[in-house]
Amino acid sequence: MAQVTVANGTPSRSPVEIMIDRIWRFFTSVRVAVLEITLLALMVLLGTLRGSDAPQWMANAAPALQPLVDSWYAWDVFGSPIFAILLAVIAVAIAVCTVNRLPAIWGTISAPRIRTSKGYIERAEVKASFTHAGTLDELRQGMESIFTSRRYRFFTEQVGNDLHFYADKNRWAKLGTFPFHLALILLLVGGIVASVYGFRDTNFAVAEGETQSVGHGTDLSVELVRFTDDYTQEGIASNYESEVVIYDNGQPVEEGSISVNGPLNHGVATFYQGGFGISVDLLIDGASGRTLYDESLEMGFFNFRGNPDAPAGLIRLPSEGVQVAVVAPDTDRANRPDLDTLQLQSGQVWVQVAPLSTSDPDIEPVTAVLDQGTPLEVGDLTLLFERESRFTVLQVAYNPGIPIFFIASVLLVGGLAATFYFPLRRVRGIIHHGAGGNTLTMTPLAKRDWGGKKEFFSMAERAGERFHTTPTIKRPDHEGNWHDDASQESDDEETR
Amino acid sequence: METLVQMSFYSFAASSLALGVASLSYMLYAVGRVRVRRATMTTSTGTTVTSSTADFLPGNIGAGQFGTLLTWFGGVFAFLAVLFRTIAAERLPLSNMYEFSLMFVLAISIMYLIFERIYGIRHLGAIVATIGFGMTLYIWSLPADLREITPLIPALQAGPIMTAHVSSAIFAYATFAVSFAAAILYLVKSKRNIRWLPSLEMLDDVAFRAVTIGFPLLSLVLILGSVWAHDAWGVYWSWDPKETAALFTWLVYAVYLHTRTLRGWRGNRSAIILLIGFAAVIFTYYGNYFFGGLHSYGGV
Ligand code: HEM
Repeated sequence: MAQVTVANGTPSRSPVEIMIDRIWRFFTSVRVAVLEITLLALMVLLGTLRGSDAPQWMANAAPALQPLVDSWYAWDVFGSPIFAILLAVIAVAIAVCTVNRLPAIWGTISAPRIRTSKGYIERAEVKASFTHAGTLDELRQGMESIFTSRRYRFFTEQVGNDLHFYADKNRWAKLGTFPFHLALILLLVGGIVASVYGFRDTNFAVAEGETQSVGHGTDLSVELVRFTDDYTQEGIASNYESEVVIYDNGQPVEEGSISVNGPLNHGVATFYQGGFGISVDLLIDGASGRTLYDESLEMGFFNFRGNPDAPAGLIRLPSEGVQVAVVAPDTDRANRPDLDTLQLQSGQVWVQVAPLSTSDPDIEPVTAVLDQGTPLEVGDLTLLFERESRFTVLQVAYNPGIPIFFIASVLLVGGLAATFYFPLRRVRGIIHHGAGGNTLTMTPLAKRDWGGKKEFFSMAERAGERFHTTPTIKRPDHEGNWHDDASQESDDEETR
Repeated sequence: METLVQMSFYSFAASSLALGVASLSYMLYAVGRVRVRRATMTTSTGTTVTSSTADFLPGNIGAGQFGTLLTWFGGVFAFLAVLFRTIAAERLPLSNMYEFSLMFVLAISIMYLIFERIYGIRHLGAIVATIGFGMTLYIWSLPADLREITPLIPALQAGPIMTAHVSSAIFAYATFAVSFAAAILYLVKSKRNIRWLPSLEMLDDVAFRAVTIGFPLLSLVLILGSVWAHDAWGVYWSWDPKETAALFTWLVYAVYLHTRTLRGWRGNRSAIILLIGFAAVIFTYYGNYFFGGLHSYGGV
């Protein structure tokens, strides 16, 4: 039988094992995590600046950068695969980190190590010690009551002639980062669920008196009964409201109103008030007398060229090879009256019948002004402006990610509060029982925890008062500066 | 109502003045006195060499105490300015740059005074009160018609959610200003060991504590903002530049928290991240000037 001998007694590992180990270490490394978050921050910054003029300023300052700036503006950062991959990597890293750290943290919580080493306490940057002439039991009880009065747990272990002790409080808060990081994953999951299973229609327009079906696999449709917009004396919009009836499979199931911060919910869909506009009920007959168009044309998805206050609409009539542009009167006459070249009155619309493709030379564009109720021949068509009505623009959305999102929010804020406001505090100590009495030495595990040290000093002073002695307290140094020396760090294993 | 608006404005003016003088007093206190000693020597070849040495002496304690008093004044007057305006408008003043900059002045005074009280150090005032004063200067520079009370456009009328969203943002930014100040003093102190500045350890702790308040608040800002956006626009998150600017800020502080707790980074590098974080805060705060988008208050 072949004997496998391994140098140094370490079992040889297959390349696959090495690979897996590498990947695991990549995902558990906090150095890598910091790098990932930094990368994410940089991408978010790039995506943010894209929405501003800042890249252009750069290009103006250094024209050589222009091509780079152009591709920056062209890059949809948040929709890019790299961004998605980065989010996925971070999500995996968070999950792996959590799994990796849970046993150790659980250990600290449920079965903390009580035993410590003299060397560890001696080298500590911050410590307190005093001698006590009474019995060991007195000292132990006294210390225990000082710690428990500050909500610490207190454990002791006899090690040879010495009594080692360990005290901690807020141990559960150590778990706070788990719900917090889990929440981050949930937010991503919520986003994915919403985009895969949900839908969102931002331009769902319904004219007064009309019914539109929602689609997206639902049997819902919406009828707009009335649209109202209120204004303040200064002319600022104070409220928009759509009164609607919702139909399911053709049956009216809900009546209600939708306003800007008051969406309406029905079944899976939620309706939000978006914008509104004027619509023009038009009847268009072709040369043969056949009716080509009999609908409410929603105005305002286009503007009249040269006057942004004049809402316009466009009807394409491919069968005739023409399109009809319709312009309604200026909605804000006070603003730039010079642009209002059409000078339409209410009850009038301006129309232009033009060839569908601009290259078609056979048909000359014809324009006319229609008066409400009076049919007019324009080119080959007969147009009748029946009435003006209003339409509302709703957003229809179904977001199955909402419950996930809510749970995530609670976990996020709750987890942060637990970690930050109930910091884990720990103290280790040794009581040496000698011929001349007991010597107590203790140190807080409070690296970079000013508040923890402060609490420690005050407890040490309490102990001094209680045992009628003045403890020797070693404070950081007189400036309170750190020694960032490596030995301290590696000893302080539990803060990692 | 007009009178209340006027009174609010006068209170603001008083607050501005108080904070201006407060920052000067704090600076006198924190910078200390510099005594320059000159020595002139004549060398054997006949040239004179002048050398000067600077001695830094602790600042005047009275100046620091005066700073505290004036910051209290600044805070109380900012509170009155907000109060009068709240009564006049029947809502918290959070709807335009004038209004929430006013709230910011109040928030920064409160947060600063809390930290001053807890840690018993006044040196941060030299920076924080100056930021507060700078904000009042910005308010002065705003067009006067923003001081009029105008009704809210529909999308901003989200009541409690909008109020909570914007006030969390203001308090988050105010606490980040405190951590920014601590980071600066940290860098100064670690470069030149100026005796009377607070210890590095305490400065690091001040900065960290401030972030532990600011970071959850900023998380709330993002959450409430998306709830609000969801109600008003039907989307939680639309990658609007103002949103992503806040997200960027949040990520910078996440980097700070990770490096601080985990990598045992020395304070200097942590402090530099805090400077970047506060730059991001300023960028987010004044984002309206750079971006269009939903948050431009341009209307629906
Ligand atoms: C956008 C992503 C992230 C954010 C916003 C974030 C945020 C935070 C925050 C606020 C803390 C608390 C720090 C403190 O206690 O002072 C923390 C701690 C921590 N994070 Fe993250 N984190 C993110 C990603 C990650 C990733 C990818 C990993 C894993 C590789 C990770 C591992 C940890 C660990 C191990 C801790 C320390 C927990 C403890 O001390 O108990 N984080 N993080």
